[in-house]
Amino acid sequence: MFRYLLRRLYLFLATSLVMVGVLFYTTGLFPVERSFALTGIHAPTANQLVQIEQDYKLNDNQAWQFFAYLQQRLSGNLGVSVTSNQSVAEELSAVLPASFELAIMAAIIAIGLGVPLGVLASQSQHKLTQNTIMAITLTGYSVPVFWLGLYLSLWFGVDLGWLPISGQLNLLYEIKPITGFMLIDILLSESEYSMSAFKDALLHIVLPATTLAVLPFTVVVRSTRSAMMNVMNQTFIRAAEARGMHTSTIILRHALPNALIPVLKHLGLMLGSFASYAIVVEMIFSWPGVGSWLVSGIYQRDYTVIQGGILAVALLIIFLSILIEVLHTVFNPLSRKDLYAAS
Amino acid sequence: MSWLLVACGPQRLPSGLVYCSEGNPESFNPQLVTSGTTIDATSHQIYSRLIDYDTQSGKLVPALATHWSMSEDGLSYRFVLRENVKFQYSSRFTPSRTFNADDVLFSFNRIIDPQHPYHWVSRTGYPFFQSIGFAKQVKEIKKINDHEVIFYLARQDASFLSNLATDFAVILSAEYAQQQLALGHPENVDHFAIGTGPFTLVQYAKNEYIRYRRNPDFWGEPAKIDMLVFDITPKSTVRLAKLIAGDCSVSALPKAGELPVIKQHHDLIIESQPGLNVAFWAFNTQKPPLDDVRVRRALAYAVDKQNILRAVYQNTAIEATGVLPPASWAYDNNKGLNDYNPQKARDLLKEVGIKNLSIDIWAMPVARAYNPNALKTAELIQSDLANIGVKVNIVSYDWSVFSQRLSRDEYDSVLIGWNADNSDPDNFFTPLLSCSAMQSNNNRSRWCNRQFDAILDRAREVSTQAERKAIYQEAEAFLADQVPMVSLAHAKRVALTRSNVQNMQLTPFGGISFAHTSQAPLEAH
Repeated sequence: MFRYLLRRLYLFLATSLVMVGVLFYTTGLFPVERSFALTGIHAPTANQLVQIEQDYKLNDNQAWQFFAYLQQRLSGNLGVSVTSNQSVAEELSAVLPASFELAIMAAIIAIGLGVPLGVLASQSQHKLTQNTIMAITLTGYSVPVFWLGLYLSLWFGVDLGWLPISGQLNLLYEIKPITGFMLIDILLSESEYSMSAFKDALLHIVLPATTLAVLPFTVVVRSTRSAMMNVMNQTFIRAAEARGMHTSTIILRHALPNALIPVLKHLGLMLGSFASYAIVVEMIFSWPGVGSWLVSGIYQRDYTVIQGGILAVALLIIFLSILIEVLHTVFNPLSRKDLYAAS
Repeated sequence: MSWLLVACGPQRLPSGLVYCSEGNPESFNPQLVTSGTTIDATSHQIYSRLIDYDTQSGKLVPALATHWSMSEDGLSYRFVLRENVKFQYSSRFTPSRTFNADDVLFSFNRIIDPQHPYHWVSRTGYPFFQSIGFAKQVKEIKKINDHEVIFYLARQDASFLSNLATDFAVILSAEYAQQQLALGHPENVDHFAIGTGPFTLVQYAKNEYIRYRRNPDFWGEPAKIDMLVFDITPKSTVRLAKLIAGDCSVSALPKAGELPVIKQHHDLIIESQPGLNVAFWAFNTQKPPLDDVRVRRALAYAVDKQNILRAVYQNTAIEATGVLPPASWAYDNNKGLNDYNPQKARDLLKEVGIKNLSIDIWAMPVARAYNPNALKTAELIQSDLANIGVKVNIVSYDWSVFSQRLSRDEYDSVLIGWNADNSDPDNFFTPLLSCSAMQSNNNRSRWCNRQFDAILDRAREVSTQAERKAIYQEAEAFLADQVPMVSLAHAKRVALTRSNVQNMQLTPFGGISFAHTSQAPLEAH
């Protein structure tokens, strides 16, 4: 197991290195001065210029420059934002929690509803129920997220006036960021309005989280269903049935844990598309997370923000994919066996 | 389950007002910019000026100066300053004294004196003051005592007081500036603003919001709302949606096409007022073939302004016959000077002997009060010019890049405009088309004409309104002949409010002000 983990770690480092390399190369293609694209300082003073040349080894060859770049980025120096002159790392840490908050909410919705529905679809004897669930998920899988987001905000926000459709919170509530997670910060705040603010924040997260949850939800339902059908036909389940165990016990204790392993793998494979969905959702609902920060950076040609955003999102995806693979192996002894056989 | 229970309780909102604004301010000191977004966020909220315009009558009224008088030769102006005006305080700064003459000296010397330690703190310069030649106009500012200052001018200038009442001429705290300079962070003065206005800046989160609180020590009538929040929402449709959903109470710059939607909602009100602004198409007169006045005339004849009014403004604007809008006292209807006449345009081009002319039109990427959709305007002009055999290439960048490149003299022509900062007609000519405006890159036509500058100087030296009007009409005729730019339209100023917002006053010029705005409590829903 230790060797396996070490190899995954190498994989993470190697993939990240290639990614940073690509980022370094494309930074050189920005149509501006190299020192400007790297640091975001528009009109550096003579001292700053010397410092930049030293930091990024601009007078050396490409290889040295790459190592200097790597060193700067790894030590957390992402430069300053071209438009606001604030440190990109600070801006990034201010927007990351909002994205996580939205992602966690969407994951709760997708898994909390998707797994039971998938089990139901696999166990139902009615062709009608099965087909209905499959039809709904297929529709959800094919609906473009930008259309869905806009229509949900049109229906529930503009026409019915039930739910707010942009931002995290009515701005009149003044909540000091402590953890960066809005819902937690509200509970921690001592404002007399904290209960109303909490309700307001929940209402604000409903539409974006639902929109973002649709795609993973359909993936969870469909893969849970097929995995369950697969597992339920295996001999150990039939053995359990023969022993006279209750169906619900069989499903919950024996079938589902085994069925969830491929579901996890499926979700891991789709992380990239979930991330791009999240960016679109954040844009539609003006959610102040990494996605909308990155897109507005692109519109404003904020080169340092673009690099910082891509770096953060890509690293996160690489890390999570590998984490899911490791979890998959931990929970699934069969795949470990494959691994040992191969090595 | 607990959150479900919470969700059933009554919702209470802290008292305050949210304004959906269109973009990030570039700075928190209006002296350093000309962009309307920044002016809206700073000038009337955080700061005060020596004198102000009355929003109703357009007359000058006392602000930080209680009295002022002009010497007989018109070369010096004496101001008596208000006493016991407190500056705002913040976590960075606690004022030890009230407002006095030193603050006035600091605020203006910073602009006119290149030796001043703060002069170069601004990387962008002082574009408005440079464009009107303020440094040359003011010889010296003298402190008589703590509450009296005299401005000595180099020459007579009827627009001087109007310029002091513009949104740019705000008063900063000299004490704060000294303190920050000693700490080695002079740029903080422009970023973490301290002023004497009705609201105190609390927090600015880029792309998200600007938060202000009522300044309890404000020298005038205190603001009626406790908290003011600018919700930064660049997309016009999102601003509208937020207004309908109740996330904001006032919203900026709606597109003309959205107005029918607003009329369906009975709790929304459209506030509109004829604006002191002009949208125009400026030619880079230093670049051939646009340096030839006949070519410029031909292009001016080719543009069908009525068509633009219909498609871009949906008839919410009026056709521009010159630079000055009808809301200005120096306006005259000059219809007929450069009317739509494609045949004449074709003849003129034939006369010059230019064939296969192809020019770039730069269209600004953002909505402005004077032009809600420059790209569409560019497309209409493109088809108009195709009629006379001129090919048009439309160019657009994101705003910050656009304005940077615009300063670099590489464009053929640009669609842009001007919002007046005061009601003086000079504000439409000197900042836009004078030689000094060319040096500060505000003169988008890059057109420097000594004869025209002389006309403007003359208009500033006489003081009766009738005489000045005649001279400004002379200037209009001169422009119509030389065509450094084609004026297209004068738009109305429009803001959207929810019906429980009261006293939301739009002025024909300058930035938005929330000093007198109030809001009836929202019903919980």
